[in-house]
Amino acid sequence: MGIIEGLTSGFLQAISLEVFPYLFVGAAFGLVIGVIPGLSGHFAMAMVIPFLYTMEPAAGIAFLLGAHSTVAQGGGLTAILFSTPGTGQNAATLLDGPPMRNMGLGGMAAGAALTACFLGATFGALVLALLLPVLQQVVLFFGPPEIFVLAFLALTFVAVLGKEDLTRSLIAALTGLLLAMIGLDNVTNQERFTFGLLELRDGLELVPVILGLFAVAEMFELWVKGGSLTGSQSSPMSARETQTQIFRGVVEAVKHWWLIMRCSTIGAAMGLIPGLGSAPAAFVAYGHAKQTSKSKETFGKGNIEGVIGSESANDAVEGGALASTIAFGVPGSSSMAILLGALFILGQETGPNMLTYHVDVVFIMIFTIIIGNFLGMLGGVFLVNPLTRATGLRGSLLVPVLIAIVFTGAFAVQRSWFDIGIALFFGVFGYWMKELGYSRAALLIGFVLGFAVEKNLYLAIQLSGPFFIFDPIPLTLAVITVVFLAYNIWGIIRDRRRNG
Amino acid sequence: MRKNRLAARTSCLSLILMSALCGLTACGSADDSTESKTGAAAFFDGRNIRWIIPYSPGGGYDEYGRLIAPFLEKYTGARVDIYNMPGAGGMRGANELFGSPKNGLTIGIINGSAMVTNELAGMRGADYKIAEFEFLGRVVADKRVLVVSTESGIGSFEEIWKSEDRVKIGATGLGGSTYVDAVIANEAFEMDVDIIHGFDSSSVVRQAMLRGNIVGTWGSWGSAADNVGAGRDIVVLQSGKERASDLADAPTVFEMGEKTADPERTMAILNAWESLHAVGRPMAVPPGTPPERVQFLRDALYKALHDPKLLATAEKSGRTIVYASGEEMQQIVSDATVLPDEIRQLFVRAIKGEL
Repeated sequence: MGIIEGLTSGFLQAISLEVFPYLFVGAAFGLVIGVIPGLSGHFAMAMVIPFLYTMEPAAGIAFLLGAHSTVAQGGGLTAILFSTPGTGQNAATLLDGPPMRNMGLGGMAAGAALTACFLGATFGALVLALLLPVLQQVVLFFGPPEIFVLAFLALTFVAVLGKEDLTRSLIAALTGLLLAMIGLDNVTNQERFTFGLLELRDGLELVPVILGLFAVAEMFELWVKGGSLTGSQSSPMSARETQTQIFRGVVEAVKHWWLIMRCSTIGAAMGLIPGLGSAPAAFVAYGHAKQTSKSKETFGKGNIEGVIGSESANDAVEGGALASTIAFGVPGSSSMAILLGALFILGQETGPNMLTYHVDVVFIMIFTIIIGNFLGMLGGVFLVNPLTRATGLRGSLLVPVLIAIVFTGAFAVQRSWFDIGIALFFGVFGYWMKELGYSRAALLIGFVLGFAVEKNLYLAIQLSGPFFIFDPIPLTLAVITVVFLAYNIWGIIRDRRRNG
Repeated sequence: MRKNRLAARTSCLSLILMSALCGLTACGSADDSTESKTGAAAFFDGRNIRWIIPYSPGGGYDEYGRLIAPFLEKYTGARVDIYNMPGAGGMRGANELFGSPKNGLTIGIINGSAMVTNELAGMRGADYKIAEFEFLGRVVADKRVLVVSTESGIGSFEEIWKSEDRVKIGATGLGGSTYVDAVIANEAFEMDVDIIHGFDSSSVVRQAMLRGNIVGTWGSWGSAADNVGAGRDIVVLQSGKERASDLADAPTVFEMGEKTADPERTMAILNAWESLHAVGRPMAVPPGTPPERVQFLRDALYKALHDPKLLATAEKSGRTIVYASGEEMQQIVSDATVLPDEIRQLFVRAIKGEL
């Protein structure tokens, strides 16, 4: 089957009456799951699996991917409006989303986030489509040496994020790296920093840590300071005002199309790398948005570019992550592992066979991501208004309710009471970090990348010896890293001279 | 007025969503039967059974759980709730099951082979006693295979065995099943395969095979079949005494074991290895559960795992069922836990990563 033929057939199937209703229900389900903190895309997919046994392949794929693709949009909404990210991938949205809400621009941020998500996902899906002819070569590009250097490069974005106070940012990032080391080391079979607790053997779970650092910390702050989430805004916005804001947000996102393109490229590229996940992609995109912005100083204080950058990247990841799954049946993330299992249930074979004979199935996936996100955007717009009203509630009413929801989310990931303790601990920790001016984002970057850096360094050394860094591709990437770091450090020194 | 209408519209939308979702989730509920029930059947009728799955949603164990649960509902008359409890390589779920109320309303599937070896090795966190579980039956015992990538040019196990260079085999974490299999194979065949461990998951191992960084890996036949069918990998060695019907070309470890310098020692290791594999993925209830309820659940599981509809679905999703009864399982587990001292030491060292 030729690519054009596959494209047409894929599109017609995706919008057909046999498939579209499933796509719609899936997208709605994903949006709801996304709004609930702690429940992730891979949870949504696992819930859908039992229904696939009796479904046609096209409908099953649309149902499954539809549910997966809108989760980030729902999560972005709650990240902005309640400082409570749905999943790890919305963590970067917390840096500028909630400050915008505090300025009374919550609706605008939400509109921009939903649109950026949709455009990012579309971009990621298009990248996947364009890569189809060379998909296998691209996927095999990344081995342990390359991933190590790339993860290290991503780590250096701490320098961009924490430009204002490099010392504190480095402390935070190194703390994050230390936190990543907690648990049983796969390589030596030694427990590290577990303090004899069996619960820490598998390391810290990402979701409770993020919920603690941001959501719980925010609740503490709200409790201590009083008032409501919307801060200075005395009365909640009217429905009409919210709608106007959402529309302005959409326009803003479209206006920043070039930023979305660049951040989506980052997202799609990082999605291609197995094991990195979407949380770092969003942070790196955020760092890039800040680096290239004309108004760097307003980042972290409610800059819409921060919201657009991170939200566009976290949905563009999906296109990239799908690539390695389709090319070789090698899933790049836990969600993709579920997708692979589902494809098997639906009787679809991945790899060269799918690319040669069933390319229409790949296009059904591509169109599902695009249409699903579009539906998610429309559905999300309906959710913004009621959610915005809740942000106007006074803290003494809102905090107990949100804390209950957040703790339920922390518990739900592994059904572990211990994780509620983790969320609480990092709540206190995050609150003090914020009070004392330490970057929580830097800590999180260290935490999410520490594992990838360490693991791949070990594998690279085992596979290619200690001089793997001098191989052509790792060397090129390493040079880029050094140049990037040098440029940023130089920038910091220059700024200091100017100000000092 | 306008605001109210808008609010009504949004709540109406969420209502539709909710009912759509409820409709979806309701599909899996059990058939009603009107005949009167006595004893254990009456006890379970309409109750909720909590099914502990010691891994995250989406993995192989979870897939089996979600496949079997509706059929268990059909034959027990109870509602079966899947309860994922990942952690500590499956030990957290096993511990939870071991300590659950002994009323038959908590059941679980466990990673039998790993739970046996962890207990043998005295791993911290192995708080259960595997032989004390009341087994309901075994869902599957995976056939383990050594696969190599077609690209590597290796066509048989002998080529690896007699190779002048150290052949690189990938594995996940130290003490994980892909690692233990590779180490035990090294011991049994007295070879010096270079085991590169520390890969995040079996899919990253696959990626490294495709890139040519490593030659092959150990894994279950169920998960390797896809790539073998597609011509990307070939199986050069399989576990068990007999070749699987769909794997007639690859020799078994026992066939190869006769060609070693010390066949007696090799066979002793292989027998122990085999008895561990036989434990597979059993389902169990906590020790001390009333016998008539255990029997009832055993019968229900037997019927569920022999239901033609389940078997058809299982085959479609590539998840085969290799059933063994609860009584057989008690024997299989005790065989696996009682090993000759020297062999036991060998396995303990392999699991702890000391080999």
